[in-house]
Amino acid sequence: MLSAHFPRSRTFRDSRILQVGLIGLFWLAGEALVRLTGLPLPGGIVGMAIVLLLLASHRLNPGSMRRGAEWLLAEMLLFFVPAVLALMNHREFLGLLGLKILAVIAGGTLAVMAVTALTVELFYRWRSKHGAADTLVG
Amino acid sequence: MALPIPLWDEPLAQAAVWSAVTIGFYVVAKRLYRWRPVPWLMPLLVTPAALILVALALHVSYRDYIRGTGWLIGLLGPATVAFALPIYEQRAVIRRHWPVLAVGMLAGSTTAFLTGWALSTLLGLDGALRLSLLPRSISTPFAMTVSGEIGGIPDLTAVFVVVTGVLGAVFGELLLAWLPVRTALARGALFGVGAHGAGTAKALEIGREEGSIAGLVMVLVGLLNVLAAPAIAHYLGS
Repeated sequence: MLSAHFPRSRTFRDSRILQVGLIGLFWLAGEALVRLTGLPLPGGIVGMAIVLLLLASHRLNPGSMRRGAEWLLAEMLLFFVPAVLALMNHREFLGLLGLKILAVIAGGTLAVMAVTALTVELFYRWRSKHGAADTLVG
Repeated sequence: MALPIPLWDEPLAQAAVWSAVTIGFYVVAKRLYRWRPVPWLMPLLVTPAALILVALALHVSYRDYIRGTGWLIGLLGPATVAFALPIYEQRAVIRRHWPVLAVGMLAGSTTAFLTGWALSTLLGLDGALRLSLLPRSISTPFAMTVSGEIGGIPDLTAVFVVVTGVLGAVFGELLLAWLPVRTALARGALFGVGAHGAGTAKALEIGREEGSIAGLVMVLVGLLNVLAAPAIAHYLGS
């Protein structure tokens, strides 16, 4: 198993590419586990669970993946881009159908955001009043 | 489509060219947005739009394009793993506020499915298209999984997720101006539940704490949806 402060080397601490590679290995482990066990979850989620367990049990040092993880998260929008080109196979969306879909997404998103924010805010205030959450976040 | 480029017919060359063009456009779009941060210049909007124009002009099909650039979508796998870090670092917030976050995510996800279903039905959208619209609020890797599970078309859902992200980043800022929400917890949750990664990026512009809560909530709500998907599929009878 990995030692408490894996990995120790300074190069690894500073190398974004090596860290992205390490994260990629955890992803592959997650994929393999999903294939072996038939879990109904994406491999990435299982990989994330593995990393969380290792972090929580102090077998993996957060510093050994911070630069890589922050880079992957910061550039995540790039990984969405190719998927959007699927639109080219759906010329039918250029007309009224596209506007309808846009309306569904716009209306739905406004509702989701308002409901979520108000629910969290009100429940938070209710809990603070009843002494469950003592300090304010933010 | 044969272009006047040597080796163009080699799949590897095509993959290299399209990957380079995609990454290049993305880098330029990011600079553009930093220079002028207005909603219609969001990289998530500008990059695919420019790529579609180029592909259409060169008569390149989606299949040919995605054969060369699919590996970029594949990086969403490692990106999902990377979320372990912000979740781990927010463990104190989770421990203290998990009931509030759980209730907010449950309310938000239920709203996402109900409004998606109701508005689609109202406008006469049905079948796989309507199902593909349901998981639009959560992050792509989760959304595509849920979409496939409930009988939608994952490719389409991926597009709707992006549209949601662009609209959500704009709407979120407008909503915050007039909704009576003052805690970072609620302001972050608004973006995390409503507009996944694009919303999280916007939340980070608003504040560090809002951003980290949005990122955390985005992952948790994605997980919640993936775990609930079999039950939803069962309920929808698919």
